[in-house]
Amino acid sequence: MHEWSLAEAVVNSLLSFARKEGVSSFREVELTFGEVMELNRDIFRTAFEELSRGTPLEGARLVIREEPALFRCNSCGHTWDFDEAHKMLSHELGILEEPSGDRESPLHFLPDLARALLKCPSCGSRDFELVSGKNLRVSRVVISE
Amino acid sequence: MSGADVDPMLHEARARLSRADKVIAISAGKGGVGKSFITASMAAALAERGRRVGVLDLDVHGPTVPKILGARGEITAWKGGLRPLRSGNIELMSVGFMIGEEPLPSAGGEKMSLISTLAALTDWGHLEYLLIDVPPGTGEEITWLLRALRGLEGAGVLVVTTPSLLAESVVRRLLKLLRDERVDVLGIVENLSYFRCGGKLIRPFGEGAAERLSREFAVPVLARLPIDPSIEEAILSGNFYRSLSEEVRSAISGLVESVETLNPAGR
Repeated sequence: MHEWSLAEAVVNSLLSFARKEGVSSFREVELTFGEVMELNRDIFRTAFEELSRGTPLEGARLVIREEPALFRCNSCGHTWDFDEAHKMLSHELGILEEPSGDRESPLHFLPDLARALLKCPSCGSRDFELVSGKNLRVSRVVISE
Repeated sequence: MSGADVDPMLHEARARLSRADKVIAISAGKGGVGKSFITASMAAALAERGRRVGVLDLDVHGPTVPKILGARGEITAWKGGLRPLRSGNIELMSVGFMIGEEPLPSAGGEKMSLISTLAALTDWGHLEYLLIDVPPGTGEEITWLLRALRGLEGAGVLVVTTPSLLAESVVRRLLKLLRDERVDVLGIVENLSYFRCGGKLIRPFGEGAAERLSREFAVPVLARLPIDPSIEEAILSGNFYRSLSEEVRSAISGLVESVETLNPAGR
């Protein structure tokens, strides 16, 4: 359910940008999410639309792109994807989601915790990079003239 | 346009911090001077005075505030974000609740991104005081803090030092940075200041550092805390604040009173 807080963060930052730059209306907003965030696009879209109502973002086309996760070990050079990483996540450390009662890995909320929660599947080192597919960014906005 | 001008997480972190009446960052620049202990004690003292208080533990490499307060449990998430864990009457958010005893090595930019996201997702509700335990160093953590607190009404920094010349030198750099960046410094706290032995007051690290910094930067010394074995015992006791010695509690209580006078909640 962190989709609502992420949508709030995106909407508030864009509205602040609009106030600063005198933007009266957005035509398109393109967001890139890291695969590690495991974003539920439908929930995010609903939240974005609801929070945009009555603002310069209302009616803007929302494009959501997911960036695949790629991990690379600095110790042995091994590279791996999110499916492989997912299998290694401990079930002892979690965040409890309300109201579903599901337990999610903290990585889903805070991808920068990767080095605490994962190790290289080949050599066991924590000295690895999450080369891509980590965070959220606003990759492009189109404003109405 | 590209979206590079928009940083949703830092923006939301500032928005969420600004919901607290007062934000006080406890910082030192140097490790081992007792920031986390002072943060936890101040939170307990404020809660005892009936204030709604939260603690944001930014020490992602060595999160100790949960240990000091004896807080254990699992963070929950809901529509509004991550709920802090309630410990007594204190709302507490720390990555310590999410990584257990695992180490967290981090590199270029990751720490800044992590603390931005943590602050952006935490749903504090309404707080009168939000205390931030700032990790040692004058790198990414301080840079994040400067960006997060810049222009934020009701925000200030409390600087912790010890009488040691080494601490004084590091703290001086921090105070220069805060002055250059026009961050409001509420005052200086001198920790590990003295101990009592056979009725005598002994100052093993000398004296005068806090006064020199106070004069140089025109900020008051708000408290001096002793070296006291009761602190370690109190942390182990599970009833931290009540188990501190009368002398330590009185110093913390005086510190909180000064902070409340300088920076009252409920603006």
